[in-house]
Amino acid sequence: MNRVTIELWLWLGRRLEGDFESPSAMRSLREEVVEEGTTVRDLLGSLANRFKAIEQEVFDIQGQRLREGLVGIYSERVTGDDEFYRKILRDGDKVVILPVYTGG
Amino acid sequence: MNIGGYTGKILRVDLSEGTVSIEELEQAFIEKWVGGVGFGAKYLYDEVSPGVEWSDPENRHIWATGPLAGSGVYGAGTFCVVTKGPMTNFAGSSQANGYFGAYLKFSGFDGIVFQGKAASPVYVVIKDGKAEIRSAQKLAGKDVWETEDVIRSELNVGKRDVSVYAIGPAGENKVLYAPIIGDRGHVASKNGVGAVMGSKNLKAVVAYRGKRSFEIRDPKTLKEKNDELFEIAKVSGPIYQWGSGGGFSAVYGIGALPVRNYTTNIYPEHERMNGQYMRTHYEIRPKPCYRCRMAHVKEVTVTEGPYKGLSAEEPEYELLAAFGPQIGNTELGGVVMLSNEVDRLGIDCNEAGWVIGWTMECYEKGVFSRDDLDGLDLTWGNVEAAKALLNKIARREGIGDLLAEGVMRASRKVGGEAADWAIHTMKGCTPRGHDHRGRWPELFDTCVSNTSTLESNWGPVTPQLVGLPPFDPFSHEEVSTFNGKFNGIRQFDDCLGTCRYASPDPKLVVQCVNAVTGWNMSLEDAFTVGLRVVNQLRMFNLAHGMETKNERPSKRYGSIPVDGPTKGRNIMEKWGGMLENYYGLLGWDKATGIPFPETLKKLGLENLIKD
Repeated sequence: MNRVTIELWLWLGRRLEGDFESPSAMRSLREEVVEEGTTVRDLLGSLANRFKAIEQEVFDIQGQRLREGLVGIYSERVTGDDEFYRKILRDGDKVVILPVYTGG
Repeated sequence: MNIGGYTGKILRVDLSEGTVSIEELEQAFIEKWVGGVGFGAKYLYDEVSPGVEWSDPENRHIWATGPLAGSGVYGAGTFCVVTKGPMTNFAGSSQANGYFGAYLKFSGFDGIVFQGKAASPVYVVIKDGKAEIRSAQKLAGKDVWETEDVIRSELNVGKRDVSVYAIGPAGENKVLYAPIIGDRGHVASKNGVGAVMGSKNLKAVVAYRGKRSFEIRDPKTLKEKNDELFEIAKVSGPIYQWGSGGGFSAVYGIGALPVRNYTTNIYPEHERMNGQYMRTHYEIRPKPCYRCRMAHVKEVTVTEGPYKGLSAEEPEYELLAAFGPQIGNTELGGVVMLSNEVDRLGIDCNEAGWVIGWTMECYEKGVFSRDDLDGLDLTWGNVEAAKALLNKIARREGIGDLLAEGVMRASRKVGGEAADWAIHTMKGCTPRGHDHRGRWPELFDTCVSNTSTLESNWGPVTPQLVGLPPFDPFSHEEVSTFNGKFNGIRQFDDCLGTCRYASPDPKLVVQCVNAVTGWNMSLEDAFTVGLRVVNQLRMFNLAHGMETKNERPSKRYGSIPVDGPTKGRNIMEKWGGMLENYYGLLGWDKATGIPFPETLKKLGLENLIKD
C-alpha cells in the first residue's frame, strides 16, 4: 500500500469541508492510501465516486478524464495528458489539479 | 459597397504636411484583408520600403479596426496598431481594447494611416467624418492620464463622449518599449508603437462617439451568436469571475510564472498575489470596455498594507507577474502602485518587468553598484526603487537612458555574463509576462512570430476548438506541429476589432462576422485570411533583414529551469528540428523560412513572389 496526496487548487474548500484539509481558500488536500499499481486515473476515478464535488467539478467518470479547463501535475512535474493519467502512484507521490491558465 | 460592418473609409494623416485626406476602400480589398492587422499588414508592406527605419518619417503608423467593432458584439471596441517597431526594427502589431475601435467607426472611419513627422507636438481629433490636427505643445511632458484630462477639458466633453489614446513621457522620449495607452488603462503595448508615435511628434489621437452608422446584415443572428459567445466565455476559465489575475496561481502551478528573472520557479506567495485574493480583499468597481458584458477589468482600492487607500485600475495578470514575482515583490499593493506608474508614464509593463528584473539581478551579483544605479537600492522586491527607476527610464535620466533601450540592447552594452541573463528573443522583442519554459507553445511562437509578439496562439492552448488533437506540451515535435497547424486563426481574430476574451470559440466568431457583413465565410476561410496576414508580415520582415538566426530565444529565455514543475525541461535540445517542422507545415523553405511561391500564390499574394 502507498500513501499519496491529492491537492486541488480550485477554491472548493467549503464543498469539501470535513473530507479535505483546507490550508487556504484556494487549496484542498487529502491523503489517500492506494494499492500497488494504482494509476493517477484510478485515483481520480475513486475520488469522484466518493465525493460529489470531485465528480461534478474535477473528474468526468464517464469520459475518464479531467473536466474541461483543468490540468494535472504529478509529483511536481507537468506532463502531457496521456502520460499523466497512466502514471503509477508510488509512496509519497502528490497529484495536484489546477485550472488551465487562461488569459493575461 | 455591398458589405455590412464597414464605413468603407480610411483616414490618412500626413503629419509633415499637416494635411488630412480620406481614401475609399475597395470591396475586394476589404474581403481580402478584413481589417485590423490585415489592413495594417497590407499598408505597411506597400508603403514602408526596406531601408526605412522605425523612427524615419517615412515609417507608417496604421490604426485599424474591423467588422465587429461597434457592431454590438460585446467588448468590440478594439483596434490594432501596425508599424515598423523599434524593439525588432521589423513589423509590430498590437491590439488595444476600450472604446476607440467602436468610436472610430462611429466617427466614419475603418482605420487611420499616419505618415511623416510633425514639426512640433500635435494631436489629432476625429469627428463626424472629418479630422483636425491640433497643437499639443501644452501637453508636452504630461503623463497619459493628464493628457487625457487636458484634452477632454479642451474639447469640453464628458467621460464617454470621446476615446483618447496617447503616449506619456516615455513615448515622447522614444523609450523603445513605449506603448499607446487610452481610456484609462487600455494599452497597445508591443514593439514600441508609442515610441513610433513619439518619433512622429504625435502625442494623442481622439475619436468622438460619433453618430455615423454602418449596416448590420443579420441583426437577429448576430444577437443569438453573441449570446452564445458570452455563455461560453463566462465558463472558459476564471476570467469572468476573477479577471485575468484569476489564472495567476494556475500559472505558478505549471511552472510558468516568471520569478526573479527566471533564476527560480519558487514563489509560495502566489496565493496573496492572485485575482481571487484581490477581488476578495480589495474594494472593486466595474470598468467595462465598450458594451462589454464580461467586464473583466475593474478598478480597485487597496485596503491593506503600505499602499492602503490607493485607487487604480486593477492590475491584469501581466502586471501582477511583472511587478510581483519577476522583480521579487510579494506585496500586492506594490503591484497596484507600479501598475499605476507605468500606465501614467506610458511604459510597457512586460518589458519594464524584464528590464527591472535583469537590473536587480545585475545589482545582486555586483555587475551594477548603487552608484551605477544613481543611488537606487534595487534589491529584489524594492518597489519604491523600481518606481524611481521607471521615472528615470521614462525621461532617459542617468541609468534610465541605458535601460530605455530595452533589456536586449542594455544587456549587450553592459556585456559579460550580464548579457546572458537578459530575457528576449533574438529579434529584440520580449515575451509576455510568463516563464515560457513552462509554456513551450508560447515560447516557440514568441520567437518565430512576425508580429513582435504572439502570432499563432496565446495563453489558453485550445486545439479542440478547431478540431486539432491534444498534444504533449513538452514534445518538441508536437508543440511545433500544433503551432504550425493552429497558425492563422489568431491573426484572423486581430482583423476583427474585437477582444480575445470575447471570442472564445472561433466558429461562433466567424458566424458573428457573417451576420455583420453578409459573407458566407467558413472557419477554413478565416484560417486563410489569418495565414495571408502571417505571410504578408513575414515577407515584410524578410525584406527588412530578418533571418532564421533571429528566430531563437536568448540564452536565459531558452534556458533549463533549475527547480519547480518544469525542472530539467530543455526546449533548445531540438530547436532546429522544431523550426524545420514549423516552417514546413506553413509552406516555407525549411532552411531559410522563406515562403515558397506556391504558398504565396495559394493565399492570393502572387505580387510578393520575386522573379
